[in-house]
Amino acid sequence: MSSYASVGLLCVMGCILFFLPLIPAFRELRRKSDAEPLVVVQQHAGEIRFFADSFRSYLKSLGPTLEQCSRTGATASGTMPDGTEYIVYGQGDQGLLLPPSKEDQAVAAIIASATDLALPWQTTFSRDIYSAGDFFGGEKNNYRAVLAEKDVRLGEHSSVNRWVHAVGEFSADAGCKLFGRASSDRSIRLTTDCTFSRLNAPRIATFDSDSATAPATEDTTYADESSAVLPRTLHDGDLEIPPGQVLRGNLVVRGKLRVGTGARIEGSVKSEKELVLESNVRVEGSLISTSKIVIGADCRIHGPIIAERAMRIASGTRCGSQAKPTTLSAPEIELETGVLVSGTLWARERGQVVRAL
Amino acid sequence: MIYVLYFIVSLICIYTIRHYWFTLNRLFGFQRHPYIDIDTADWPYVTILVAAHNEEKVVANILSALMTVKYPQEKMLVIPVNDRSTDRTREIIDEFVERFPGRIRPFHRTGGKGGKAAALKDAMELVQTEVILIFDADYIPGAGLIKQLVAPFFDPEVGGVMGRVVPMNCGTNLLTRLLDLERSGGYQVDQQARMNLRLVPQHGGTVAGVRLSALHEIGGWDDSTLTEDTDLTYRLLLNGWKTVYQNRSECYEEVPETWPVRIKQIKRWAKGHNQAMVSYAIHLLFGKHRATLRERIDGTLLLGVYIMAPVTVVGWILALTVFYQGIAPLHGIIAVLAVTAYAAIGNLAAFFEIAAAVRLDGSRSRVSLLPFLLLGFTVSIVSVTWAAVTQVKDALTGAEFHWDKTERFRKVAS
Repeated sequence: MSSYASVGLLCVMGCILFFLPLIPAFRELRRKSDAEPLVVVQQHAGEIRFFADSFRSYLKSLGPTLEQCSRTGATASGTMPDGTEYIVYGQGDQGLLLPPSKEDQAVAAIIASATDLALPWQTTFSRDIYSAGDFFGGEKNNYRAVLAEKDVRLGEHSSVNRWVHAVGEFSADAGCKLFGRASSDRSIRLTTDCTFSRLNAPRIATFDSDSATAPATEDTTYADESSAVLPRTLHDGDLEIPPGQVLRGNLVVRGKLRVGTGARIEGSVKSEKELVLESNVRVEGSLISTSKIVIGADCRIHGPIIAERAMRIASGTRCGSQAKPTTLSAPEIELETGVLVSGTLWARERGQVVRAL
Repeated sequence: MIYVLYFIVSLICIYTIRHYWFTLNRLFGFQRHPYIDIDTADWPYVTILVAAHNEEKVVANILSALMTVKYPQEKMLVIPVNDRSTDRTREIIDEFVERFPGRIRPFHRTGGKGGKAAALKDAMELVQTEVILIFDADYIPGAGLIKQLVAPFFDPEVGGVMGRVVPMNCGTNLLTRLLDLERSGGYQVDQQARMNLRLVPQHGGTVAGVRLSALHEIGGWDDSTLTEDTDLTYRLLLNGWKTVYQNRSECYEEVPETWPVRIKQIKRWAKGHNQAMVSYAIHLLFGKHRATLRERIDGTLLLGVYIMAPVTVVGWILALTVFYQGIAPLHGIIAVLAVTAYAAIGNLAAFFEIAAAVRLDGSRSRVSLLPFLLLGFTVSIVSVTWAAVTQVKDALTGAEFHWDKTERFRKVAS
């Protein structure tokens, strides 16, 4: 081979090696198969009721059937436009005759009731459930999703895999597991050993299954701080606020913070490490910790409570109010029985109701 | 000469390690989104400033979007900051003021110093709320964005907040597709990693917020800066305020569709960034203030991002020079320089960062465009180097900085 041919071959090989990785690039540039903007959620704002509202819209085509079943008390079945099977009960509060399934005690159809709905126990419902009235679920049931236009009550040790929404009160008996969203337009009652992920209601209360003791009544005497501009204090290292002290302003602590019994903070508090409130502490603003927050008994917190690791709230504590609801968020949340929260509770990894110490 | 080369290669290696650290953290580390869950609260009053200079093509879109966001109406005031516009911007804003009485208070600026910082500074006379959000006029906020950007201000340590920018015209041509990739890398990986690692997320000056009391504490907007966002980031940091990044607070923007506009944009960013570097780097690294050690180091490296372009060019020239002078065997160091060069510069994102970001975004085929970033890289390194050279020349001759507005490409809203 001549030297010219060698050089030419080298050039050709070089060009091939250079352009080879560019072939997919040129192809994508020409075809534009993935040239749409990334999807940004523009319309719905992550509302907890999004799925419930969507399900209600989805069921609109069943409206005439529900109405007819309600009038006649009959049961109807069929398939939705997308091929999903449904059963509509005109008298859902009577004993239901559930359809047979390949698996024992499993129902794979959408269940809709024109009246109250009472379901048997130890059954898996792998499709969404709708009740135009109250909903009563038996013990140890497993639901995909539940929507009721009035109250919802889940029997002991039941679980909801996606979401549950009650227009009235939602209550979960001991040991229930709420894996997705649980919301109510009125109130949520959780009993001992219930686990949860994301809750929202004007009033969320935790109860002890062995006693009827309800959380204390709501505190409506919060100061209006929403428009006030408060001075900020920065503190390096750990800090202890003595019992009974009143502090006006925002406080940022670059270490551990312990707030003594009966102290009052007229502002927001941030701690870069563990934040501990002893009993009867009152905070008009928010509580933020990059680590763990421990809130003692009978505290009053007005603003959002955010812990980046974990949070534990003791009995008698009230967070937010119906007039000014708030958000509590942490990967792990433990609520003792007797806690009252207004707004949103969001445990990214695990939320649990535990018996008061 | 050889020691200068060693120094430059060391710097590039530091940036490369930093980018790998960020990428691995983003892929495998603990992700911090502490405020994103706040969806219920006693929301504070908020003022939304919309910076608009000759924005007739886009200003109606953002005002329409802001009128439909899910935030208590009585607690939200929109102030379009019409900065000496000579097109129909004023007319369009006034139409919206009439359509939405009490919800929009226009600020028509007819004179004064040019630039966004100067316009925002003047508009502050209308601001009475503790929380301020800032948007450029070409952005289109979604329904939940305002709450998401306000939420971090419940943390009393937060002075600034920054959301994620997503190009909406990414499919237009090669440039917009490359910018889409760069934005992915810069936000999805770089900014979020700095948030995760408690370093220095950068305030972007749009899809962003600032606390009024923090702004007052640091002396307000500095109208002598070309990039008021970078300036704000560092003054907040030096005064003990945190800037936080919210990766899930996404907002559409329009990216440049022509290379001249892109070059002008990146040159302005480079000059502004370098300006901040000169002002704050030494004080940030060695001064007495409240930034942590990791914030000092990362903040200084962030300040140096744009100066790394001319530094890399100098490194290449030095490498060639010492090679042809026959000084010592330098195969290793030249290889390191070649491999790490792109990891040190660009618009905050290296190849592997972008690849990781595209994967995290769940995109399918756009990652195959990655080799074309070589083109973007070449344009960036030349533009940024040229910007640095002219900046030095301007400093020596006493010439003033000139603020260039980025041209818009959207069709005029009807």
